[in-house]
Order: sequence, then C-alpha cells, then structure tokens
Amino acid sequence: MLHAFHYLAPRTRTELFRLLGEHGPSAKLLAGGTDLLVNIRNGLAAPDYLINVKSVEGFSGILWSDREGLVIRASATINEVLESEKIRSDYPLLAVCARDLASHQVRNRATVIGNVVNASPCSDMAPALLCLDAKAVIASERGEREVPFREFFTGVKKTVLQKDELLERIVVPAHSAKTRGSYHKLKRINGHDLGIVGVALARKGGMVRLGISSAAPTPVFVGDLKESDPADAIVAAAMKAISPISDVRCTKEYREFMVGVFIRRLLMEVE
Amino acid sequence: MRITVTINGERYEREVEENRTLLHFLREEVGLTGTKEGCGAGECGACTVIFNGRTVNSCMVLAVEADGSTVETIEGEATDGKLSKTQQAFERHNAVQCGFCTGGMLMSVRDLLRRHPKPTVAEIKDGIEGNFCRCTGYEQIIEAVLDASGQPVKKGELKHV
Repeated sequence: MLHAFHYLAPRTRTELFRLLGEHGPSAKLLAGGTDLLVNIRNGLAAPDYLINVKSVEGFSGILWSDREGLVIRASATINEVLESEKIRSDYPLLAVCARDLASHQVRNRATVIGNVVNASPCSDMAPALLCLDAKAVIASERGEREVPFREFFTGVKKTVLQKDELLERIVVPAHSAKTRGSYHKLKRINGHDLGIVGVALARKGGMVRLGISSAAPTPVFVGDLKESDPADAIVAAAMKAISPISDVRCTKEYREFMVGVFIRRLLMEVE
Repeated sequence: MRITVTINGERYEREVEENRTLLHFLREEVGLTGTKEGCGAGECGACTVIFNGRTVNSCMVLAVEADGSTVETIEGEATDGKLSKTQQAFERHNAVQCGFCTGGMLMSVRDLLRRHPKPTVAEIKDGIEGNFCRCTGYEQIIEAVLDASGQPVKKGELKHV
C-alpha cells in the first residue's frame, strides 16, 4: 500500500496553478506516474498531495505550428512521440531516443515532460532535446518564462523549476526540423533497461552536436563542433564536458571509453 | 473517492482510497486476481492490463485515475468458458510453465495482435519486451503468438532471446 496522500485532479490551468501555489512544497505533480508512484512505494517521496496534470484541459497532445515549431504538452506520452508523423519525418532523433526508453507499457504512460523534470542523469529524452535547441516553457500563477534546456538541469535530480512552477510545454524550434541524428545507449540487456551511458549525435548545416546521458550529474550538451572536425577532436571535446562516476553498473573508465566508441560509431552512422 | 470503471465490459462502481493502485483495486476490491503483482515497479509486466485501449502496468496507475475508464484484464480473454485462440496456442506450444507472467503476457499479446495482426518475430519481441517470463525462455511464447496469428511455426528455428 502506498502512503496516504490527497489526490487532486484540476480541470483547468488556473485551478492547477492555484493548487500548486497553495500546496507546492508538499505536493507532487502526477503525469505518467512511472517514476513518482514507484518512488512513493519505495519511500523516496512522501507528498501530502498528488496533483494530476492529465486532467487539465489543453495539456494533452503534440502540436505543430509554423511560428513556434513542435510543441510537446505536459501530458504527452513517450509513445505519442513515436506515433507522431511530424516527429518521424522532421525530428527523427526524438523518436530514436523515445524508442529506447523503457518498455511499451511504460511508454504508454510515461511523459516526455516527466522524463526531463525528474532530471535524472540517464534521461533518454534530454540528449535529443539538448541537440535540437529545445526550450522549456515554465508556468505558474506568477506568469510564464522560457528556459533553454541547456540551462534547465542544475544537478542530479535538480532543475531550475520552483515549487509553484510547472513545465507546461516543450518547444522544439522549427529551425531544428530535418536535423539528422541517432542515439546509442549502453545497457546490460537488449530489452528495456536504464542506460549505463548514452550518446545522441545530431548533424545539421555543417555542425555536429552531442547530447550525453549518464556521464555527469546532469545530461550533457556539447555544441560548437564542425562536420570537418576530426573524430579525435570531437571525442576530446566530449571528454572535457563529461565527468562520469563509477557505480554499481560500471566504472568511470568504461563510461568514458564507451562515450568515445559511440561517438565514432555515430559519426559513421549519421550521414 | 467514488469511481466508476468498466472492466471486461462490466460496469463497477466502488468507493476507493486515493492511494490504492489499479492493480490492488482489481485484485482486492473487484476480486479479479488473474492480474499479478511481480515487482510492483513497472519492470516485470505481470500486472499488465489494457487501460483505455493501451497496455499499462497497473501497479503504476492509481485506481482514482481509472474513474470513467475501460479496463481489459486476463479474465476477459476466454469467452463462455472457452479459451481464446491465443490461450489455446499458448497451451499447444507449452508457452506456460508456472503461469505467473501469463496473464500480463496475454494482455500484451492481445494489444500486439490488434496493432499487428500478423506480427513478425521482431514485432513479437517488441510487443512483449515489457513482460518478463523466467520459465520458458520466450521461444515457446513467440511460437505460440506466430501460431495464434495463423503463421507457420518451424520448431527449433528460433534462438534464445
């Protein structure tokens, strides 16, 4: 049995922000619940209130606008990313990363926004969002602000979000469409597993970018690389940016080694 | 909180605690114990049910979230005491040993066959990736799904996965 909490299911954005303003410090937002409910079960989270974001009108779906680009709303699931025609044709890197996240059942519930607000270093969606110049649109009763994902993560499980704030939508700009890219993730098994280390590589307009998971306290972005740069220089830039640890899943040295291997493989794979 | 849920076509109205999972609601309040609790953390898939048309781990859904929804469980697989085509194929191919994963496995297979009526071996592996079976080694399960979907099965052709 989970510990006792009050369940709140606001219908409107205004009501949600009022509840967050009132209960923020002792509340947790519930989206897919695939991390939160497990954490509650294991005693790692003990909120007094659970506020369901899925019940809020206008929070579901993935949209496209010529002006803003791709908009991923708060309740959009990982499988919705995989089912989106627009993403498959214009933002394939998002789909590659989504495909590597957990199992079909989990992807039916887990949300893109949940995957980033948890700020786990092994987030599978963060490497793609970093490579694609995505920004977080953060809202509260106090108003709205935008933060690029490159400034969003502040530490292990820490982000710029305040207690009364919600990451309402992710915007992937139109100029990032048709970026070529892929993601390699080291796992213990072929099936669903947490990443031991992961690298996303994106190419567009002569530039190369990297998004690296499980290799530092936060997902890591490496930009300012050119297609003409030799592989050694790109690997060296990645090594400077990461700071992996040794843990139960592998050593620091193995993580560093595999980041290099993945970059070299991706440079050949992503044309 | 009072919730109304349609389970295997039947409507249930119940008072539930806010901190009860859909899994425990099904097992303890409704008495449908075919849905099993394995890990309780979304890893093993023994608690898989079809929730508003999509497979979920019912250990990670709150019962209160199921208000107004439809749920399909293993109890709805056989009709009028007759095993479904998939269940019969599982029996023929010895795809059941201890049986603990089977309820959840069959829910994933039901969902898979809706999306891919004639799945390839790769699609079958993807479809059941969230369901652990510690007895069979999966070969018999994959063969059973091929058979249930009317595709030829060559015994011993599959490798361990």
